[in-house]
Amino acid sequence: MLSPFRVLHPTTVAEASAELARLGDEAVVYAGGAELLLLMRNGLIKPDYLVNIKRIPELDGISVEDGEVRIGTAVTHRRMETDPVVRIRLPALTEAERHVGNIRVRNQGTLGGNLCFADPHADPGTALLVYDATVELWGPSGGRRLPLQQFLVGTYDTALEPGELLTEVRVPPLAEGWRAAFLRIERFYRPTANVAAAVSIKDGQLEGVRLAAGCVGPNAMRLLELEDQVRGSTITEAVALVRESKPYLTEKLEPVGDVLGSAPYKVHITSVLLTRALEQVVARARGTAHD
Amino acid sequence: MIDPERGTRTRETTYIAITVNGTRWQGDAPVEEVLLDLLRSRIGLTGTKRGCESEVCGACTVLVDGAPISSCNYLAFEADGKAVTTVEGLARGDELHPLQEGFIRNVAAQCGYCTPGQLMAAKALLEENPTPSYGDIAHWLTGNICRCGCYPAIASAILEVVDETKA
Ligand SMILES: Cc1cc2nc3c(=O)[nH]c(=O)nc-3n(C[C@H](O)[C@H](O)[C@H](O)COP(=O)(O)OP(=O)(O)OC[C@H]3O[C@@H](n4cnc5c(N)ncnc54)[C@H](O)[C@@H]3O)c2cc1C
Ligand code: FES
Ligand code: FES
Repeated sequence: MLSPFRVLHPTTVAEASAELARLGDEAVVYAGGAELLLLMRNGLIKPDYLVNIKRIPELDGISVEDGEVRIGTAVTHRRMETDPVVRIRLPALTEAERHVGNIRVRNQGTLGGNLCFADPHADPGTALLVYDATVELWGPSGGRRLPLQQFLVGTYDTALEPGELLTEVRVPPLAEGWRAAFLRIERFYRPTANVAAAVSIKDGQLEGVRLAAGCVGPNAMRLLELEDQVRGSTITEAVALVRESKPYLTEKLEPVGDVLGSAPYKVHITSVLLTRALEQVVARARGTAHD
Repeated sequence: MIDPERGTRTRETTYIAITVNGTRWQGDAPVEEVLLDLLRSRIGLTGTKRGCESEVCGACTVLVDGAPISSCNYLAFEADGKAVTTVEGLARGDELHPLQEGFIRNVAAQCGYCTPGQLMAAKALLEENPTPSYGDIAHWLTGNICRCGCYPAIASAILEVVDETKA
């Protein structure tokens, strides 16, 4: 049983943020509730007010503006998984969304809820990082925009200030000639490890490289130092470099052993997934090089 | 919970009107009531089961406007104005739904606790994709756990219904 609370149904972002600011610690944002209601049922939080953001029309759309795909915070996983714009322009995100939880979680849970809850075992963030996504925030002192990497601060921790809402995620599609892939493995229903890779190839070499890893570290992370190492190499060299990157991955991700596996296992599996993702994107990029 | 205006403990209810298996239900729902409790305790439809209460097992699967959700973790007021389908809504009078027939023929249950959820998830799948492959079925049903391990029979039952549709 859930203990009683009240629900507010603002219809604009300004109204929602004003309510959050007014009520302070007594209120929380309620999107799909997939995580929030579980926390409440287990007595981990006892908010007096839920601020329902699903009746704010501007938070519920997917559109393309200035070349960027704009995804409202209240868009569900299922909608992203099946949306043609996302599939064509951000295929690695479609792939990540396909694997989130189960069909019921995907019908109920939202992109914003996923990013704001900041569970390290999450999928969309890893894919969004290789697209250089940014997030739009709105709070008592107005709006601001942050790169997703700066928004994801740590385990269950984000850059959100009190009274602030995530309103939109903006994702620039990859430039012509780039290809992306997302891979994950799971032991239970949430991912144990996931990775995303995006590359462009010129004269048999990886000209552009973006790599990200999730779940193993406190939050999803771009692997910038590894990207620098791999850039300019052939695919064979790149795979060898990634195989040798375990000390780097250990230092960068600071893995901890738990029920999902030991720290060395998690690092190993991350490097394996990274090599597979690289091979996949290179094969895809070559496929188009012929036509 | 303290009401800021009056400083007294209050309880909030919302008036909702939903269609459950084609029949209208309307009344007040406490905002913290989940759909599973409304269905089982107040409407008296006990076919939908309570399992993990954490969106993992799928025993509580019902359809809201055709989409499968975990009724254990879905606030009842969210269904206002929508159509809810539970396992009781599958049969037409004495005539079982093809999926129910298929489950019986294939003995796709042992204890049967997961079955209402499996049936509702399968119904949603066929509505969206009338000719799913084995792989499509396995992917769609990953969130419907069967502790008796009837997965192969469940898949066979669904594939039989798919074949019937094709024929
Ligand atoms: C069984 C199960 C399996 C799962 N498996 C996966 C998986 O495989 N991969 C994966 O990535 N995720 C998984 N998840 C997590 C789930 O997909 C996400 O956490 C979900 O999207 C949460 O979204 P929501 O809209 O339900 O958030 P809510 O539960 O409504 O909110 C979550 C938190 O974010 C805050 N919040 C929500 N929206 C905003 C906003 N716009 N601004 C500020 N704060 C906000 C809320 O206050 C709350 O603290 C799983 C969850 C469950 C229950
Ligand atoms: S009881 Fe709802 S998913 Fe298990
Ligand atoms: S038949 Fe017993 S849990 Fe599925």
